[in-house]
Amino acid sequence: MITTIRMMITCHFTARRISRYLDADPSAPLTVGEIHRLESHLAQCSRCRTAMGQYRSIDAALERRRLTHGPDERAVTHMRDVLERIVSGEIA
Amino acid sequence: MVQTSSADRAATAYAFRTHVEPEIEVLLRVASTLTGPSDAEDLVQETLVRAWRSVDRFDGRHPRAWLLTILRNTNINMHRRRRPDGFDEIPEYAGTRPAFDARPPSTPEEQVVDGILPDDLEAAIDALRPTFRTVLLLVDVDQLTYAEAADALGVPVGTVMSRLSRARARVRAQLRPTINPPEEGHGR
Repeated sequence: MITTIRMMITCHFTARRISRYLDADPSAPLTVGEIHRLESHLAQCSRCRTAMGQYRSIDAALERRRLTHGPDERAVTHMRDVLERIVSGEIA
Repeated sequence: MVQTSSADRAATAYAFRTHVEPEIEVLLRVASTLTGPSDAEDLVQETLVRAWRSVDRFDGRHPRAWLLTILRNTNINMHRRRRPDGFDEIPEYAGTRPAFDARPPSTPEEQVVDGILPDDLEAAIDALRPTFRTVLLLVDVDQLTYAEAADALGVPVGTVMSRLSRARARVRAQLRPTINPPEEGHGR
């Protein structure tokens, strides 16, 4: 019983930190202790491992979306031209 | 902007180009996320004009954060200008080409690896509340850091983290039946 409750608490702990763990963003790093606890839990909990894998799959799918939904070269070139016209005083 | 000589102006222009040109693609992406693809170029152009006007107040550090803050404020001001008229904006852009093209989708092999089809992903993104959807797109598609997304939205980093976490959980809940998790590894 105590083991089950402890596992559930650590599932909750893990769920609250999965995004930050995956992103490793400099604004919100996990501590070494948090990473250790999270990874130890993942090694034991198949449900959280599955969730982690699903988040990685979604991340990969969003990365593919980036490749298909970016600005076209014409728009980037146009904005570079605008930049030149601004610094030359043509656009104020 | 006060210029004392053409040499000063040339130096300022050089510094401005150096800082701003590498950020143009990111600005177009973020503008598209914030305002839609058809208005993205107008928003970025106005952002560049305002950035140039205020370049004397820029200390040369964190140009992306500086530009994203200007872009956010410019977007707010452009919407303020448009809204009171009750003007239907669509005809203005009829026949114009959006800055963003939907290019050919990823290969079938890529799509079946994790089981997430582009249409399913779009439906899951569209189903999100706008505040969640915007953060998801800024961080996971436009690849801003949490701090940059916070600059683009004018909210604290903690708000970005909280919205991002909820957005991802909702997308996962919607896509869960079809996802094949990848091989295990750590980090992104």
